[in-house]
Amino acid sequence: MAEATPVQMFHMEEKRRQYRRAGSYLKICVLALFILVPFLFPSFKTVDLAVQIIIFGALVASFDILLGYTGILSFGHGMFFGMGAYCMAFLLGKYGMPSYSNLVFGFMVAAAASAILAMLISFLTLRVKAIFFAMITLAIAELAIVLATKLSGLTGGEDGISFMMPGIFSVAFSTGNFMGIEITGKIITYYFILLSCLGLFLMMLRFTHSPLGRVLQAIRDNTQRAEALGNRTFVYQSISITFGCVMAALIGCLYAMWMEYVNPESSLGVMTIMLDVLLMVIIGGMGTLYGGIIGAAFLKITQTFLPDLQSLAKDLFPEAVLLHNILERWLLLFGILFILVVIFFPKGVIGSVKDRGPRKKNVP
Amino acid sequence: MNNSILKAEGVHTFIEQHHILQGVSFAARADAVTVLIGRNGAGKSTTLKTVMGLLPAAKGKIFYRGKEIQKNKPYEIARMGIGFVPEHMGIFSELTVEENMRVAMLVENDASARRLERILTMFSALKKFWKSKAGNLSGGQKQMLAIARAIVNDTSLLLIDEPSKGLAPIIVDVVIDSINQIKERSVVVLVEQNFYMARSVGDDFFILDDGMVVKSGGMEELAQNEELQSRYLGISKIED
Amino acid sequence: MAETIFKRWSQELTLAGAGILFLLPLFEIQPKTYLTLTIAGLAMGMLLFLVASGVSIIFGLMDVLNFAHGALFAWGAYVGFSVFQLLMKWVEADSVLKNFAVFLMAMAAAMIAVAVLGIILERVVVRRVYGNHLFQILITFGATIVLVELIRVFWGPNDEVMIVPHTFSRNWDIMDVVISKYRIICIFLGAIVYGVIQLILKKTKLGTIVRAGVEDRDMVQAMGHNIYLLFTGVFAAGAGLAALGGVAMSIFSLQVYPDMGGTYLLFAFIVVIIGGLGSVTGSLVGALIVGLSYNYVAYLVPWAAAGVNVLIMIIILLIRPTGLFQAGK
Repeated sequence: MAEATPVQMFHMEEKRRQYRRAGSYLKICVLALFILVPFLFPSFKTVDLAVQIIIFGALVASFDILLGYTGILSFGHGMFFGMGAYCMAFLLGKYGMPSYSNLVFGFMVAAAASAILAMLISFLTLRVKAIFFAMITLAIAELAIVLATKLSGLTGGEDGISFMMPGIFSVAFSTGNFMGIEITGKIITYYFILLSCLGLFLMMLRFTHSPLGRVLQAIRDNTQRAEALGNRTFVYQSISITFGCVMAALIGCLYAMWMEYVNPESSLGVMTIMLDVLLMVIIGGMGTLYGGIIGAAFLKITQTFLPDLQSLAKDLFPEAVLLHNILERWLLLFGILFILVVIFFPKGVIGSVKDRGPRKKNVP
Repeated sequence: MNNSILKAEGVHTFIEQHHILQGVSFAARADAVTVLIGRNGAGKSTTLKTVMGLLPAAKGKIFYRGKEIQKNKPYEIARMGIGFVPEHMGIFSELTVEENMRVAMLVENDASARRLERILTMFSALKKFWKSKAGNLSGGQKQMLAIARAIVNDTSLLLIDEPSKGLAPIIVDVVIDSINQIKERSVVVLVEQNFYMARSVGDDFFILDDGMVVKSGGMEELAQNEELQSRYLGISKIED
Repeated sequence: MAETIFKRWSQELTLAGAGILFLLPLFEIQPKTYLTLTIAGLAMGMLLFLVASGVSIIFGLMDVLNFAHGALFAWGAYVGFSVFQLLMKWVEADSVLKNFAVFLMAMAAAMIAVAVLGIILERVVVRRVYGNHLFQILITFGATIVLVELIRVFWGPNDEVMIVPHTFSRNWDIMDVVISKYRIICIFLGAIVYGVIQLILKKTKLGTIVRAGVEDRDMVQAMGHNIYLLFTGVFAAGAGLAALGGVAMSIFSLQVYPDMGGTYLLFAFIVVIIGGLGSVTGSLVGALIVGLSYNYVAYLVPWAAAGVNVLIMIIILLIRPTGLFQAGK
């Protein structure tokens, strides 16, 4: 049984694409849902949930470019996300003031800074084994948190930085009613974030379907053979990592726009941001950008409605103390789920559904 | 062949997606040296590794003394009395010669001590370098060590993969000598590309080509058949 | 020409350079403070060695990157904590014998409990991802989450203060130099463990087989040794070492908290990158370097303490990416 060559795999995937017309309708429905959220569910809690899903969906997709497509695990993704958020906070708050130009500036500075840092880290670590990348990015990410906390003069320390959005994005802004809802700065920000994330996501899709993206998949699947192409693997991986990190930083900027607040724990934290991203990408599916959205939705919705689930359980089974204990420790359940998914569904939900074609023999 | 110590029937082995062995069948009989011979890439090493359990047999059966062993783990197979000398010799460079031998010896009692003595008499260089790091030995000495390790237990079947590879002709003769001594106590299955080596020690031959056995017989037969030699072993017909 | 000299002697040069660097602070710090800091640094280094050595050996033999090591470390600390709580009287007693006894019991209990945990972890989870580094990291990371949450389930989510046996909390005052007793104990502990590990590796048949396995796993199997049993055993041993480190560290820092594994795991990774994956001596040297530099810098430039180790790690990556020592030493 000869293995499929990259060209054949390309054609197979094209065929599968045509089968996914049903999939395309689904995507349009989901998009429409997000567009309509502020009107269908005007409560702040729901809109916030929607923003979380959008932001983290895009973030996980950018992470998937590193993990699923390049095959590299980086614990630093949260750091890049936080970097973007902090750039925005610096320019609109601590070292600047809310203005449109600063807003644009914020994006640009975030992109530049993250690109430089990503390239530096790639250069440092890719020359060694890829596994070191995980350990080193973990060390650097933790260092970033420590610095952000300790250098409080520069970064606002543990208390973080609060700031306000300019003009039409600011909370105070309002253009009156439309279809029964007051259009506030928050709503406008919501649509800005939705559109931006959509745009970034499309960029990421383009990236993975580009010739570069295919080379990356070839590298991921068989590094040795790819290395026979010359010592280009390192360059391609660096480009891919930089791209993913810059995306993360830009998404961080958008997140800061929504939260109007940054601090080390919630913006940079490994056990907060990075953990969530990992859970989402594994559950949703590695190597499929859409998996991020599913993972993000699943996790965020569960987290938001967990208190309700807990009280429901208490009402239905008032005696089961152990059950209550375990539900309190929902992270425990997610951890177990994580392990199970890694063992049995290494491609996550979407990946397993997609993977009906010729499977490669994986020696366990 | 009823008195065959080792028998393979229709063995298929894959390495990743590559179908290396496509139905290999051979038998090694007692009191003889069996040679698996063939060109580079024919599947000789893969055959030995499959027998040893280091590669899984996708299809087919392997019998050792009548028992099926294709599903056994390598350490179980080794404990049945099968010794293995791999292609790259597999010696532990950071360990001393003594430590290499100790790892090899599964039991340490009077009988094993006697065997060790005998082996060290056969390979005197090992005695000389007993406390040196194995990585400091010459190519030929490393080969001696690899073989010594494989026979120090009560080995009844010895699998050797290309022992003459990369060795100077003088050393090859030493290896041939030792195999001729070993075959008095154990059955030897040898994989070789080097025809001179094969002819000097072999009794039976099996030619492997493209993952299958294409011809077999007695060694004198092959020694006289130049056509076979050139077709499957790449030996040119013009000699001397 | 300078380059070749550098490459051949890079190990010795780095060690010499480190030695010189560690004497530099003497210019800034008074000798007495320097001594205190040095002892603190060595003690911290020894404790880091305990955690790092497990990671290093497991990687060297099994080619497995164990991200769950930090969680095992935390479990060790908590088991020790429970032992101390159970035998509170012995802890608070003013008898050296009783203090040491309860200390040893806590260590033994922690090592055994966590070794068992390690066996379960290896057989159920790690075994499925041999050969795939990416999944190893992911799955052991998941295991960390589960283990840490279980700590919260069994012991509660709060930070706890670790009670220290009386003997250990005292200091010696020699000529105005304050030397903490416990720090000296830690240094001895680390040295003893290092000695025992080296003894086992070099002088016993089992250790020889492990060293052989580090070089060529398949060959060791083909020579009749059950490599899977070996893996489980080594993993359990590594886990036990982490637990030992956990107990010792909790007394050192006077606290236990569920996430304590995370910080020290990070240090452990820095240590093995500096020292070289797969080398026990490398873990020792790397750990001492990390411990000492952390303490000196923390005194001189407090906010840079965490960063200096990352800096050293980066320097090592640039000049000698495989670490100071080769695997198997």
